[in-house]
Amino acid sequence: MIDALPELTNVVLDSHSAIPKEAGAALAVGLAALGTGYAQRGIGAAAVGAVAEDSDNLISGLIFTAIPETLIIIAFVTIFVV
Amino acid sequence: MSATGSSNPEYVNSRVRARRAALFDEEDYRKLVRMGTGEIARYMEETEYETEINALGARHSGVDLIEYALNRNLAKHFHDLLDWADGQLYTQIANYLRKFDTWNAKTAIRGVYSGATAEEIGTDYIRAGEFDDDLLDKLAAAGSVGEIVELLDGTIFDEGLDAAYEEFQDSDVLVPLENAIDKTFYEHLLDGIDTGTVDRNTPTGLYLEVLQAEIDFRNIRNALRLSRTGTDLNPDEYYIEGGKLFEEGELRQLVGSFDDLVEHIRTSTYGDDLDEALADLEDAESLIQFEHALDTALLEYSDALSYTYPISICSAISYILAKEREIENIRAIARGREVGLSVEEIEQELVVT
Repeated sequence: MIDALPELTNVVLDSHSAIPKEAGAALAVGLAALGTGYAQRGIGAAAVGAVAEDSDNLISGLIFTAIPETLIIIAFVTIFVV
Repeated sequence: MSATGSSNPEYVNSRVRARRAALFDEEDYRKLVRMGTGEIARYMEETEYETEINALGARHSGVDLIEYALNRNLAKHFHDLLDWADGQLYTQIANYLRKFDTWNAKTAIRGVYSGATAEEIGTDYIRAGEFDDDLLDKLAAAGSVGEIVELLDGTIFDEGLDAAYEEFQDSDVLVPLENAIDKTFYEHLLDGIDTGTVDRNTPTGLYLEVLQAEIDFRNIRNALRLSRTGTDLNPDEYYIEGGKLFEEGELRQLVGSFDDLVEHIRTSTYGDDLDEALADLEDAESLIQFEHALDTALLEYSDALSYTYPISICSAISYILAKEREIENIRAIARGREVGLSVEEIEQELVVT
């Protein structure tokens, strides 16, 4: 059965899939954006809380809120790969 | 804000932690114990307590000023806490803050019993609980203890209070009423948590753990006091359900023998935290040091839990406990300085972690 795997993979890759490549890439970017948003929800809430207590926390709050952006930036690469 | 919607522990947590970090530390206390009451008030004016000291400064002075400012500040902070919280978090914090309802109810009963004016009672309130201003003012204006019991109909204190009131009418002492209020509060703490099935590693589980620790410590304190004084009061009357250290009925045997009681605590899950304090207790004459050790242990315990599970109510509880300690510490310093205790004596009274 394992011998048949490469062949099967080829068949799957060659066949016309239900989702075109471009749409797949778009989905990937969109889902990554959702993930980023979810991560930022918690961090953003905490950051706003910290800034409300002491405005010196603004810089570090901003940095931490921006960290999940890496997710969407990496997902952006998909567009160029396709 | 309200009990609807989902909880927002991230926001509450970061605000609470910032405030927890801003509480007085050892350094501040070291300065405070060397000051007179006037200086303490001045010192407080330059910190967190500025607004309250300024607002009350014209009407009160000395220790009273400090005390009222402390109470008001406490109420403000805990109000904020409820303002921020949403959903389940709000419900849990509100449940815990009922502690101040018990305080207010007891203040009203004592005040009315001793014939204080409504205004005097009003200044002693800590307006941080569930009772609204309207009810509190009515309680303060009540003409008799019976009227207060009637006003408390429909609150959670309703159930135990009626029986206690009859006892009060027979004996004319307030103890049964106060006990009934305290017991009701502690027994309602665990409302809404299924103690049998909850998983220890979830936020609810940890919340339960802190509350159980608090109930257990309260039971330990009562048991030790009863045991030390050697009175023949029935310990079951003071027993609070919900803890995991004592079973109902077990207390009666243990109170009879001080050594057995200490041994029971030593072999329990709290043994490690209280080890040193228990050793001291066996030589020491007074329970005060041990009670302070209990307070410290509870603080450290809730702190530890708030680090293990940051996204839960634990950090809020640890802040509430720490803030209360701070208020009590400053009050102890102010009162101690007023009656002329020495620096060392006051330092013994402080609970600092």
